[in-house]
Amino acid sequence: MNNTIVTNILRFVGLVLLQGLVFKNIGVGWETFPYLHIIVFPIFILLLPLRTPKTLVIFLGFVIGLSVDFLYDTLGVHASAAVFTGFVRSLVLRMFEPRGGYNMAYSPTIARMGLGWFLQYSSILMFTHIFFYYSVEAFTFVYIVDILIKTFVSFFASMVFIMIFQLLLNQNE
Amino acid sequence: MFNLVQLLIKLSGFLVFLVLEAICFSLVVRYNGNQEKVYTNTVNQFTGWLQQKSTSTYQYFQLYDENKRLAKENSKLLDRLANIGVNVQNPLDTAWADTLQPKYSFLDAHIIRNSINHHHNYITLDKGSKHGVKPHSGVVTDDGVVGIVRKVSQNYSVAMSVLHRQAIINARVRNKYYFGPLVWKSDNIHTFNLENIPKDAPVTKGDTIETSGFSTMFPPGITLGVIDKMWMDPGSNFFTIEVRSFAKLSNLQHAYIVRNIFKQEQEQLEESVISEDE
Repeated sequence: MNNTIVTNILRFVGLVLLQGLVFKNIGVGWETFPYLHIIVFPIFILLLPLRTPKTLVIFLGFVIGLSVDFLYDTLGVHASAAVFTGFVRSLVLRMFEPRGGYNMAYSPTIARMGLGWFLQYSSILMFTHIFFYYSVEAFTFVYIVDILIKTFVSFFASMVFIMIFQLLLNQNE
Repeated sequence: MFNLVQLLIKLSGFLVFLVLEAICFSLVVRYNGNQEKVYTNTVNQFTGWLQQKSTSTYQYFQLYDENKRLAKENSKLLDRLANIGVNVQNPLDTAWADTLQPKYSFLDAHIIRNSINHHHNYITLDKGSKHGVKPHSGVVTDDGVVGIVRKVSQNYSVAMSVLHRQAIINARVRNKYYFGPLVWKSDNIHTFNLENIPKDAPVTKGDTIETSGFSTMFPPGITLGVIDKMWMDPGSNFFTIEVRSFAKLSNLQHAYIVRNIFKQEQEQLEESVISEDE
């Protein structure tokens, strides 16, 4: 129990720092290719334990989004996307529920749920997150083509990093 | 009650989502330059659209009154047309001159914004420079004077209402031709003051006040109101006259912008004389 909370706090801090200090600069460094932006912090929302109440998931999404926003200096943009992801998470979980139901004690990781399940689950959530993020960033659907290109490119790049992250930290869940 | 609580619990996720999303969007709009611009632009467009819709809806409900008023005005105009040339109020020669060469033309306009509860009230009309409106034109309705156009944009013009502390209308007493400025000093939208009427003038309570036509803004003979109270302040050479006006400024929908065709000519001539004397 306490172990789960500590793990999640560490994951929170680690992901915020990773996102705000490392991946932010990668995006800025590639000025000639502004379509790419690696977003990994939503994996915190993805990996919250299954028993977490959905209001708490949404609220934690708000908190981590706002923390990232402070490092990005874009108050509210990441937070709104993370809140949306937190909201969608419960819907996606219900959609992919295995026949026997979830074991509520665990987090939905590759080790617990299998690679195929996790790929589907994380792709849907990451895609909605990144799409929402770029929509709020543009704040208008006039540039919908731009938004979609950015979303696709960033989605694939981010998924690679999320899978690496999962495989690296798989053992000590 | 229990069902309601249950429903709220069931929807709690969604409600928290909505609340947090609202907070996020207010942060986005407040602290991010780009998004703020998009937001203000969109909101402006939307409120403009909404205001236009509400005005047109409101006008729809006013159509009955408006029709009655227009019919009344039409009949009045027809009356005047029929009696042209035998108008007792104007000498015959001016009547002829007016018929042969009109001096004033009227442009009908809708009032899209109006206020009556300040000391400086303004009226926005839906006609602008595109339709030939010029600053310093008078605005009238069939029952009196409404204001004076101050500024004109392409599609709109803003008039200073007669309910403006600085609005001065050149007025006279009907059939007696004593003239003076009509100003609004009171807090009542129907009470005006007529000034500069000398104390020897045979003016009585109940006399009708009309525009004098001395200014280039309004044609002569538009009814402004009747004398409600008049008295002489000790030591003054003039009457203090309170005029009750007829204009229904509080439910104004429709007005006419006056165009004086010879305005420029008259003003240039007058100015040239004044500058010669200086």
